[in-house]
Formats: sequence, C-alpha cells, structure tokens
Amino acid sequence: MSEWDIFKNLDTVKAPPDFEQRVMARLSLRRRMERRRQVALRWSMAGSFAALAAAAVLLNVFVFESKGPSAVADRGKGPAPSSAFVERAANESTVPIIETLDYRTEVRGRSSEPETMYLLEQISDTSPRGSDTRRF
Amino acid sequence: MDDQELIGLVQKGDEVAFGAIMAAYKDRIVNYLYQFTGDYQKAVELAQETFLRVFFKSKQYRPVAPLSSWIYAIASNLARTEMKRARKFAAVSLDDISAHEVRQKAYAVDPPDSGLIKNLREALDALHPRYRIPVVLKDMEGFSQEEIAQILKKPVGTIKARISRGRSFLRKKLEKALDEGGHPARA
Repeated sequence: MSEWDIFKNLDTVKAPPDFEQRVMARLSLRRRMERRRQVALRWSMAGSFAALAAAAVLLNVFVFESKGPSAVADRGKGPAPSSAFVERAANESTVPIIETLDYRTEVRGRSSEPETMYLLEQISDTSPRGSDTRRF
Repeated sequence: MDDQELIGLVQKGDEVAFGAIMAAYKDRIVNYLYQFTGDYQKAVELAQETFLRVFFKSKQYRPVAPLSSWIYAIASNLARTEMKRARKFAAVSLDDISAHEVRQKAYAVDPPDSGLIKNLREALDALHPRYRIPVVLKDMEGFSQEEIAQILKKPVGTIKARISRGRSFLRKKLEKALDEGGHPARA
C-alpha cells in the first residue's frame, strides 16, 4: 500500500442527475448556432465574390474603356492622346488610327552625320561663250 | 459495445452513442475536475463543456490511445485554461470568505483524520497545475505514467519528474501542517 493512497480518502463527487439532459440541451443549442454560423459564412462568402466580380466589371468599364483601345495599344510609346480628342474621334464616322510619333528618332542632327565632299567633274570641252573654262 | 465502436458512431453524429459515452464517464470527469478546481459547480460546468467538445471534435479522435485518455486530455486542457483565467481575474466575494471560515471551524472540531484530509486538500490547492494534473491523474484517477504522458502529450521522463516534485511538495506541506497543527495521523 502506497503512502499516496491517502488521496483515495479525499471526498469524491458525482455528476448531478440531470447532467445528461443539460448537456443534450446545450448540444442542440450549439448545433443550431453552428448551422446558423455556416449559413452566415456561406452568404458572406457569396457576397464577397459578388462584390469582387462587380468591382472587376466596374473597373473594366470606367478605367480601361475610358482610355480607348489605341491608347492601350500605344502604352509605353509616349503620352496618350487627350480624352477630348478621343471623344471627338469617336463621334466621327471614320476610325482614326493614332500613332505616336517620336521626333527624336525622325529628325537627325546635322552634326551627328559624316561630312559629305562633292567632286565636280567637267564633262564637256566647250564652254558657253563669254565664260572661262576652269579646271579643278 | 466498446468505446471505439461508440466513438465511431459519435463521429457519424449518433447522439445515442454519445449519451452512452457520457453515461460511462460523467462521474469520473466531474470528480476529476472537482479535485482540480475544488468547486463543484465549476467542475460540472467544465465537464459539460468537455462532453460537448467530445461530440464536436470527435472526428479529430485517432484510435492510437484509449478514449478515456482523450476525454481526460480535453478535461485537463479546459481545467488548465480555467485556472489561468481564474488567476488572472482573481476576486473573492464576501460569501466565499464566510463559507471558508465555516469550513475552517468545521475542520477544527473534526477528528484528526479529517484534519489530514483538509491539509491534503489545501496542499493540493496550493500545488501548481503543472504538478497537480499528473499527481491527480496518477494518485486519484489511477492512470499509469505512460497514459499520463499520452494525455498531457509530454515525455514519460517529464511526467515522472513532475509527479515526484508534486509529491515532494505535498509531503513538505503536510509535514509542516502536522508540525503546526499537531495532527497525529500520517499517510
């Protein structure tokens, strides 16, 4: 017999008679709450996805559409044409093709080109009257 | 029907099987929690919560350990959380003080053996939960050290050390109480 058998002399208690009924009542309550929580979670998830879809549609309509397709195509090549110009072009029957022009690449500086030497050669012995014939 | 079959049915949502498990363990769990908390109402409340968790978390049960170990593990975790919460929001009502005084007087006129039990109860209440849980599981509930290690998810060596330290603390407390009070009874 161990000296710690003294613990067995401590007063022991039992569960109250209605213990099981109380647990079952709490169980059904908890189940109802769980079901409600799941429904709320499902609706909130659906709402979140719907809001995301709506945001994507609105972004598409008001942000990307307002810039116009040519502006999107020319993105990175230079400044986009003004929206007023795009609106005016949209009202016309013809479809304008707008291409951004970079003048830096079109106009070359004279100093950057090699100097050209022109050689003039006489192709006739006769010269117009009254004028001197010069040799180069 | 054994425990494994019953918990298998509970995992499918069978309330009758759950009722059978509850009937088998309710007294042991209430008593265990009472020894732990020292408050009957609190013990009953925690035991109810323990069985609710058994039902709702039954799918997490793996039959590598006996069902009793798993239920005791849930009860121990709840008791530990409750004790932490109680320590955090420690408050003593006037009713508690008067009840404590009445109990003290009752113990004073009781025979010596009751005094020893009272001292043991006080020493157990003063013991840190880290040591109290393994001591109660070992000396009151009769679990082996290996089973306690499974319940508390600690190595067996740790459990042995905690039981030894817990008992040593209780022995010192009891000896001190005997010296002061002069109770002749010894375990």
